[in-house]
Formats: sequence, structure tokens, C-alpha cells
Amino acid sequence: MDKIITRRNFIAGTTLAVLGAAMGLSQEPVKKSRVVLIRHPEALDENSRIKEEIIQQMMDEAVMRLLDQDDPISAFAKLVRPGETVGIKSNVWSYLPTPPEVENVIKRRLIDVGVKEENISIDDHGVKTNPIFQNATSLINVRPLRTHYLAGVSGCIKNYIMFGKSQPEYHPNSCADLGLLFKLPMVKGKTRLNVLCALTPQYHGRGPHHFSRRYVWNYKGIIVSQDPVAVDTIGLRLIMAKRREEFGKAQELPPVPKHIEIADVKHGIGISDLNRIEFIRLGWTEGILI
Amino acid sequence: MKIFWILLLFSMFNFAGENVKNFAQLIPKKVVDWEAVESDRSYNRKTLYDYMDGGAEVYLAFDFNQVFVRKFLGPSQNEMVLDIYDMLSSEEAFGIFSCDRQDEEIGIGQDSEYGYGLLKFWQGRYFVTITAMHEEEAAEKAILELGKIVVSHLGPAGRKPSLLKCLPEKNLKENRISFFHSNINLNNRFFIASENILHLGRKTDCVFAEYQINDTETGYLLLIQYPDEPKAKIAYESFLKSYIPEAQKTGQAHMENNKWTKAMLLKNMVAIVFEAPTEQWANEIHLSIKFFLR
Repeated sequence: MDKIITRRNFIAGTTLAVLGAAMGLSQEPVKKSRVVLIRHPEALDENSRIKEEIIQQMMDEAVMRLLDQDDPISAFAKLVRPGETVGIKSNVWSYLPTPPEVENVIKRRLIDVGVKEENISIDDHGVKTNPIFQNATSLINVRPLRTHYLAGVSGCIKNYIMFGKSQPEYHPNSCADLGLLFKLPMVKGKTRLNVLCALTPQYHGRGPHHFSRRYVWNYKGIIVSQDPVAVDTIGLRLIMAKRREEFGKAQELPPVPKHIEIADVKHGIGISDLNRIEFIRLGWTEGILI
Repeated sequence: MKIFWILLLFSMFNFAGENVKNFAQLIPKKVVDWEAVESDRSYNRKTLYDYMDGGAEVYLAFDFNQVFVRKFLGPSQNEMVLDIYDMLSSEEAFGIFSCDRQDEEIGIGQDSEYGYGLLKFWQGRYFVTITAMHEEEAAEKAILELGKIVVSHLGPAGRKPSLLKCLPEKNLKENRISFFHSNINLNNRFFIASENILHLGRKTDCVFAEYQINDTETGYLLLIQYPDEPKAKIAYESFLKSYIPEAQKTGQAHMENNKWTKAMLLKNMVAIVFEAPTEQWANEIHLSIKFFLR
């Protein structure tokens, strides 16, 4: 790839044109990806504890809208069939893990659809040696939204790094080729749903572990899509909007979030062009930012 | 004589490899009402990935040698973590400290800051962080007390990088100066490009500084010292080509956000002004750089 994304491209909003030109791709519109953001003012209590019953409502409504279904079981039945083996790829990063409440509501709906409980596993670091994941016919990808030193943003694309041979293998060039993870045999063609938890997203990182509670806010949202690139594209816009609000326009960019566009134009695993994303907002709108 | 040099070399490496573990004896295991738990740990350049998720490269871009880690538990079973990083020189210790500054000076070590359960300071060749992740207000007393104990074991003060002397002083934000070498640190500080268009690496010294233009506007100066003049010239031309191709002759361009970017090459140094409100302001900053002082 000859072209380089610069600060100027972000100022002018031309990053995708740069990458598309570099790949020799046309800019003609093709199929859109749907992304649903749902928020609820009571998703967290006054102590920021997650209310599982509200999360269940949010997840159900979001997936129903994503798949144009009238009830949650029918919606999840569009994703997986009875008899399948399903891995829920979670994230255990100690400072901001995938909330168990979110894992629970997904697992509950898989069982409701007819997947046997013993054929469902929730895992992160152990996915490569986990028999359920090794034999999985479907994967659900679920993790929190946060900034990252190298990748700029840790979202659903980066969440699959544990399927890789080694993590450092995907670090060069600001994690540019994370999209390749979705082409690994253990993963390819199996991801049915991507869930980006924006209940308490992190918009900036500090200290040795890139975490400080001051840069986490109660957004009380969940973002879902069948397209991992589209869901991360919306996640990045949310992070940028929050950074713009807190730090000003000059600091809206986390470092080099280019792997999202590259996952689209180079690896072809999803859509990063906002013009080709059908973005649906549901629920609470106060402080929505995007 | 050959054996003498081999023994000397061995003892140097051995010292460098062992010294952070010596903190285990020097740092008390109880501070206020917080007590050390688990075994102390240490990580080197090869094992730092085991300790940090994604952040290791930021430290490895400096002369990071080793880190000593001790965990404490407080009265409410909250965790406080002490990290003492041996950066091999005071310039490097200042550098890793300077890349991430947002809080008020707290008066521990040569420079320090504290906010929301995170204390950071540097002293001599060491950079230290003490972190509490929950109930930060309750942990503050123990964090600051531990910081004062640790700094007393870190030896004498060291000097800051000489490149800082080149910075124009007028309207300079003293606590927003960063020193580093690599593109990863620049992009965490101020994203410029997805590729390493300035050819930064372990052998380049960089200073990034902020200037208060008025109540609402901030201008930025990036100063880079290359190992030699040819390398500086190649990097300068690469920057012009990739970032401001319309400025091949002048080195300056008017940006899409109505700000100015201006680059200048002088011997083995490149100076770039970003977000200048006017052409004149960018010129004044360039003319005020004290190249001769480094």
C-alpha cells in the first residue's frame, strides 16, 4: 500500500478515499451494513453496577431491529440454529472486561433458540485450545469499547487477536492487519453477531496499563452488527466525539485507528465507509454524541 | 587482561539485571494500612509483554531495562500497584514520564503528578508509577506515602535531555513538553500519519512542545535531532512529500482547518510547527528555536 493516512486526511474526512485509491478500489456504493446503537438511562445503577434485566431488554431490542424481527427468539434464530456449537468470544482485560451480564443475556438467548448449554462456551485467552471453540459452527464476538496504545481503538476486530498464532505478530504498523484474523480457519465465516459494549467506554488511556477510571464514562449503550468493521467504525466515531468534547478538536484522534479501514479495503471483511453503513439509533438520546 | 574485561562486562550485566530486585529489600511491605500481597515480580525487555497488554511497545521504544512490581491490598481489599522502571538514564526516565502528563505537580522526585489514583514521577534513571484502581480518594494517602518512601531509595537527581534547551520559551507550556524517540510515542502524543513518515527510531531524539497562543488556541512544535545530516534531509523530504506536498519549495502550507503547518531543515535537525493560527506565528516559532544550545 503506497498511500499514507495523515492527520490532514482526518481533518478533511478523506481517509477512505486515500485507502481505496491505494488498493485500486472503486468508490461506487455497494451493499450497506446495518449497525444498531441502543441506549438506556437505567442500564447502570447509581454505583455504575450493570442491571442485567435492562441489558436483556436492550440486547433483545437491538438484535430484533438489526434483523427485522418482532421477537427476540426469532431474531436470535436468524443467527444460530438448534444443534449448533457456539463460542462467545469475550474479553477478560481486568480493568474493563466484557461484563458478565452481557455474556449472560447472549447465552440465555442462544439456549432459548435451542442451542444446548453444553455446546456453548464463553472464553478469551483459551479460545484456541477450548474444544467448543475448536468445533464451533458459530461465533458471537462481544467486548467493551476502548482506546488502545497501538491500534488506536480496541473493538470487535481486535477482539479476535487471541485466535492468532501470537499477539505480537499482529502489532506491527499499528496493528494494521488485524482484519486478517477473520480469515483464520477457526474463525472464517463463523461470526454471526458483533457486540460492542459501550456501557462504560474508555476514551483515553494513561499509565502503564493504559487505564484510568477518569477516562471511562457511563454512556449506557450497546452497539451491535453482523459486520465487525462497521460496528468498530461506529465505535471509533463515538470515541472521537467524546475526545473532541473533552480534549478539543486537535486531540480527537486516538493513535492511528487505521486497522478498521484496512480491514475493509484491503481484507474485505466489512464496511468502514459511513456512507455505506445504515446506522440505527434506539432508546435514550441524551448525550448520544453520534 | 582479557579475563578482567570479561569479568567486568559480566558484573555490569549482572548488576543491570539484578538491580530492580534489590527494591524488594528496600521498600517496606506495609504502608499506612496497606500490605504487600503476592510475590514481587520483575520484567525485562523480553518479558514486558507478559505484564502489559498493548502498552509494552511504548516502554520498549525507550531504553527500558527492567521493572519491579509489587502489589498491596488496602483495608477494603482494594489493590494498589507499585511499578519502578529502570530506564538506564535520567534522559530516558524523563522521556517516559513526559509522554503522558495531565495532572498537577505533587512534589515527589524530579517531576511528578497525581490524579485519580495515579502517581507518576521520575528520579535519576528511574520512572515510578503507583496506581489504585478503585476508591482512589481512600488510597491517596497510602499512594503518596509510598511514593515518598520509594523516591528516597532512587539515588541522586539526573539531567533532562539537552534537546529541551532548544525550545523557544515564550508561551511554552512547561508541563506539556515530551521527549521520545519513536513514531509510536509521537502518535500517542499527537497523531500525524499512519506510517513513519519522519523516519523516527531509537536513534532519533524528539521533543514535542505546546504553546499557548491565546485563551483558546494551542500551537505545537516538533523538534527532531537525527544522527546525521543526510538522515535529517531524507526525513524532511519524506514529510513534505507525504504531509504537505504543495509545500516542496517553501516548507509551509495552509491546512484544511485554516491553520498552518511549517517545516524546516537545519543540518541534522528538523523542526515542524503544527496548528499555527498564522504564517507569521509559525515563522516566529521557527526563528526562536535555539539550535545552538543543544
